[in-house]
Amino acid sequence: MQTTLSDSLRSTPLGQEADSILRACVHCGFCAATCPTYGLLGDELDSPRGRIYLIKQMLEGATAGQNTQLHLDRCLACRACETTCPSGVRYGRLLDIGRAAIEQRVRRPLPEQIKRHLLRVVIPYERRFTVVLRVAQTLRAFLPPTWRRSIPPPQLPTSWPRSSHERKMLALAGCVQTPIAPNIDAATARVLDCLGISLVRASGGGCCGALSYHLGAQEDGLEFARRNIDAWWPHVESGAEAIAINASGCGVMVKEYGHLLREDPSYAERADRISAMAMDISEVLAKENRAALAPAGIGTARIAFHSPCSLQHGQKLAGLVESILESAGFELTPVPDGHLCCGSAGSYSLLQPELSRQLLLQRVLALESGQPTAIGTANIGCLAHLQSRTSVPVRHWIELLDPGASVVSLRDEGAQVELTEPTTL
Amino acid sequence: MGAIMIYCPNSPPGKTIMKTPVTNVQPRNRRELIAALQRVLPSQALLSETEDLRPYECDGLSAYCELPMLVALPDTVEQVRAVLVACHERGVPVVARGAGTGLSGGALPCSNGVLLSLAKFNRILEIDAANRTARVQPGVRNLAISQAVAHLGLYYAPDPSSQIACSIGGNVAENAGGVHCLKYGLTVHNIQMLSFLTIEGELITVGGAALDAPGYDLLAFMTGSEGLLGVIVEITVKLLPQPERAQVVLAAFDDVEKAGAAVAAIIGAGIVPAGLEMMDNLAIRAAEQFVHAGYPVDAEAILLCELDGVNEEVSEQILQVREIFQQCGATESHTARDERERALFWAGRKAAFPAVGRLAPDYYCMDGTIPRKHLARVLRRIGEMSAEAGLAVANVFHAGDGNLHPLILYDANKPGDLERTERLGAKILELCVAVGGTITGEHGVGVEKINQMCIQFSASALAQFHALKHAFDPRGLLNPGKAVPTLQRCAEYGAMHVHGGKVLFPDLERF
Amino acid sequence: MTDTNDSADQLREQVRVAAHSGVPLQISGGGSKSFYGRATVGTPLSTIAHRGIVTYDPGELVITARAGTPLTQIEAALAEKNQMLAFEPPYLGESATLGGAIATGLSGPRRPYVGAARDFVLGVKLINGQAEILSFGGQVMKNVAGYDVARLMVGALGTLGVLLEISLKVLPRPATELTLVQHRTPNEAIEVMNIWARRPLPLSACCYDGDGLYVRLCGADSAVRAAHDKIGGEILTNAQNFWHALREQFHAFFDGPLPLWRVAVPPARPSLRIPGKWLIDWGGAQRWLKSDTDAATICRTAAEGGGHATLFRGGDRGGYIFHPLAPGLLALHQRIKNAMDPQHIFNPGKMYPNL
Ligand SMILES: Cc1cc2nc3c(=O)[nH]c(=O)nc-3n(C[C@H](O)[C@H](O)[C@H](O)COP(=O)(O)OP(=O)(O)OC[C@H]3O[C@@H](n4cnc5c(N)ncnc54)[C@H](O)[C@@H]3O)c2cc1C
Ligand code: SF4
Ligand code: SF4
Repeated sequence: MQTTLSDSLRSTPLGQEADSILRACVHCGFCAATCPTYGLLGDELDSPRGRIYLIKQMLEGATAGQNTQLHLDRCLACRACETTCPSGVRYGRLLDIGRAAIEQRVRRPLPEQIKRHLLRVVIPYERRFTVVLRVAQTLRAFLPPTWRRSIPPPQLPTSWPRSSHERKMLALAGCVQTPIAPNIDAATARVLDCLGISLVRASGGGCCGALSYHLGAQEDGLEFARRNIDAWWPHVESGAEAIAINASGCGVMVKEYGHLLREDPSYAERADRISAMAMDISEVLAKENRAALAPAGIGTARIAFHSPCSLQHGQKLAGLVESILESAGFELTPVPDGHLCCGSAGSYSLLQPELSRQLLLQRVLALESGQPTAIGTANIGCLAHLQSRTSVPVRHWIELLDPGASVVSLRDEGAQVELTEPTTL
Repeated sequence: MGAIMIYCPNSPPGKTIMKTPVTNVQPRNRRELIAALQRVLPSQALLSETEDLRPYECDGLSAYCELPMLVALPDTVEQVRAVLVACHERGVPVVARGAGTGLSGGALPCSNGVLLSLAKFNRILEIDAANRTARVQPGVRNLAISQAVAHLGLYYAPDPSSQIACSIGGNVAENAGGVHCLKYGLTVHNIQMLSFLTIEGELITVGGAALDAPGYDLLAFMTGSEGLLGVIVEITVKLLPQPERAQVVLAAFDDVEKAGAAVAAIIGAGIVPAGLEMMDNLAIRAAEQFVHAGYPVDAEAILLCELDGVNEEVSEQILQVREIFQQCGATESHTARDERERALFWAGRKAAFPAVGRLAPDYYCMDGTIPRKHLARVLRRIGEMSAEAGLAVANVFHAGDGNLHPLILYDANKPGDLERTERLGAKILELCVAVGGTITGEHGVGVEKINQMCIQFSASALAQFHALKHAFDPRGLLNPGKAVPTLQRCAEYGAMHVHGGKVLFPDLERF
Repeated sequence: MTDTNDSADQLREQVRVAAHSGVPLQISGGGSKSFYGRATVGTPLSTIAHRGIVTYDPGELVITARAGTPLTQIEAALAEKNQMLAFEPPYLGESATLGGAIATGLSGPRRPYVGAARDFVLGVKLINGQAEILSFGGQVMKNVAGYDVARLMVGALGTLGVLLEISLKVLPRPATELTLVQHRTPNEAIEVMNIWARRPLPLSACCYDGDGLYVRLCGADSAVRAAHDKIGGEILTNAQNFWHALREQFHAFFDGPLPLWRVAVPPARPSLRIPGKWLIDWGGAQRWLKSDTDAATICRTAAEGGGHATLFRGGDRGGYIFHPLAPGLLALHQRIKNAMDPQHIFNPGKMYPNL
């Protein structure tokens, strides 16, 4: 497409990046076909191609106001459009640039600002988030069912392996995963332990920064990135092989540190290195001999796998987890429209509750359609979101391979999930 | 009122689009129209702010753009009717839009009109397995139909490369074709019934549940009418049984002309492949980058020949086809190893246009069709013209039907590039007409090829088209300025075209 | 060449005079299908002198011929190159011409599996009501430039213009054809035909004459044999005669004085309850009825069955012939007629009164 970005903008690296992305788009519209919001709303403005156009006109200096903001807000940043785009348009990057630009141009109403601020100052901080979560969990029983469902019941932490191996990989400390589901990290550590690898928690790390970065607070996001780099670096220097990340949403972010910090002279090089070392836990497993991993008590477990957008579109790892699960002996049920987002999408479920709810209902129907015994996924956000609407237990897939757990017990737990509303559309 | 020039803000300086506006809407009238439409549409279903209108200013042909006065996004037939009635009463033009993937500017808005999007009509209403039909809303995506009936062993045959995204309503409006149309026909051959609203808001149904219907064949006449005759609100498509087996043979050639000759040889041998597609080197490389299908990136051309039907027959034909490829000098030829590879071979072909977006910032897609026997000759001539113009041309096309898609690569940000591209494009189309072909095989005339219509049709044939248009839309409010040029326009175009009495391509036999 | 130019000019002159005087023309080719449609009056205009194949290029799968060309001549030329008119136009008389076949738009037994006459028309040259010679469509497989006037002419019974030349897509003849017979009840036959049609079988015709269910398979030898194994049935020996007799209405079913109705319905529709003798063709989609039941009943029952009925032959040629059109659709037909033939000189009333 033709672009007419102002000269001043075009002389900045960001402007150049935006221009080159815009120029790659040939306006074919293929991406709209797989965009969840276009599927629901049928408005070009809620399609990737329309959003690209909105960003383009804003960067070209046309008036861009609340409407542009609304349609950019409605974007899930799921990047299904990138997978579909034959022309290689890096929509996700353009969206970040566009969101930052609109944030500068349009002031949000005060309540909205407060809401976003609260999200930014609570969620990425494990301790603050834990406090909020525990309070909510205590009140859970007294809340109306619709609210109750979206608060995950408390989960007891399980133990990490004691043995220490020569081979070491680094974990991401993260933010919400440990308070909600401490078992995921522990299960990851136990699985890696079986493979002769120690998973190491580096002190000082925390949230990957994605939430802030995509909420228009890009500097905050980069600060989180720097903190993680600092925490990991000594371990990297002493020979850790990889950063093994079990939350695909965070994985996508860490893999972008190099790009995002390329202008920061004191971090650029290390960030690059860290990004190169970042691996989704499925990539780690795919490379190892997994014979030592006897799948735990699966019997006839039928798994519906929900591939998070950050895994299949963001990290372009579609099909990898599925093949690992299959080779471990699980039966995978078919999931219609597997490219679609569940509506969790970082803070999306809180900021766009109505669209998020519709997507969730669609996804749950699709996932349940093959009558699975459990639903597997690869990101804590999707996990909690899906579980709020289904009685089928939702687990991180690594937990399914965990020598310390059994799917039978998963099913028992699932039965405790309260469901008073039918899961139909 | 005479033709006026409307400046298109997002296209290169100097690029203009000529339109004959039906009325001139004053701001007061605009406000009144907005109020009227707000009464009949749900909130959020009417867009009127420039910020919201801009992304609707073009379809898949982004070189042409025009800001619509308003965009309406109805989701019931009653709402569509109300919008049409309101516009008709006020003499406001209406342009229907499906998925906006058209490549001829068919859904280019009118600055003084309403752009009527049918994208919300995305429901499949009924699947009749016994009679092998599906009744669908116009905004349903082409591919969604085949997906919805796959479990019945059925599919909808026409498969434009844009099938993932384009709407069935847009397919009917353009009479879309696809890679499998060589054997299974175009949209017109695969639909059975249509309901459309006239500009006056009258609902008319043509065709029927049987294979034919009484009266004139308005089902065929509506197909390919580019939104000028009515707004299609429901379509019944035919479904075919999925073939028992489909296999694709990929052959590589070190010379485009040899590939062209192989196409003629296959058809000449009495084989009707399900699809027979060609890509030249530029296109091969672009597509390979996206799908990693294993295309031979060094080849000058590849042919993809799909054979389908009963297992035994397919096996026999594969042998025959490979033999022909060999005789025609193929450097290699092999069949897809498995279903996955077959799907990949086609995925590359289907994504080839936008994938060319990886080679150059912009491409301009032509759509001429020629008698197959002239393939080699025309391709050579296009190569020469491309060299003369200094613009690269990638070729990806439906070789089996002689439907060419030369993609002219250019850079819209470079002043003058688009004009040179358009000139080269016009010459290519005129070459197609000169060898007995047509300016558009499946993408439609739209605004893009409107000048070339003057070359393909006589003035009296054009006048006949206008008379027929009048029978449907007496005030000329539906998609004005598209598909059929005014005679005045042709006169102007002709004046600038026949320089010093010289005809184009004097060396070619006239038809 | 000059002859045919002359003949086109003569036709055009005749049209010009008629347009001027307002005296209608009754267009005919070989006269084989003049019984079809409503009775009309007017000065005869015959296309029979405007004949001959203009171009035939087997490699392109396209033939262009003048309207007055006898179908026999066209089919002979095609047969020589092992090609065919895949829609198997019914001649209904030896004198049948290409123009008549296209103007009536009738198709033979192969229709449900390969397409109708209209599906094979690529382009036409015609004279409109203002005595202009116009060309629409072309000689290539795909062409979407301008409205599809060529297909509009198919089945219009000459009410929109005089066809001068027609370009058709042709197909290679199948290597083998094999006809099988099974004995079935009518509803069973309809059901089976439609089950087959949902499966990837090389069908090329399927009919039921009240006793036998006849199915024709075509394609490569191996494919036909494999399909025979799948569906079963006895091999019919004089198959070509059978299908020819069906298409040409020599089959014994068509004998007798009762009016012949053509009822078109969705193919899987079970038997319609109209008294009379039935023959089911086109895999269930075209049903012939010999019956003296009143037109209103037949028309209503066909409509209830999702289709429409035509009084094909016999009966009152001035009364009900074609299914009535909805008022809006009829009005549109009239406007289209006015656009092509403003003076109403071409076969007025042949399809509907006032058209
Ligand atoms: C990459 C790419 C590849 C393509 N490949 C092919 C191909 O292989 N074959 C092919 O035939 N085309 C192809 N196309 C062109 C395009 O996809 C088709 O023309 C398609 O039919 C357009 O459908 P749409 O829904 O996008 O219609 P739009 O572009 O929205 O509209 C097209 C025209 O139809 C009219 N229209 C739309 N909906 C209605 C309605 N409901 N009622 C009345 N009029 C309506 C519009 O007014 C306009 O004139 C390709 C396009 C792209 C971008
Ligand atoms: S990121 Fe997801 S929601 Fe956003 S435009 Fe792309 S496909 Fe649509
Ligand atoms: S698919 Fe890619 S090139 Fe096509 S419109 Fe979407 S982003 Fe642009």
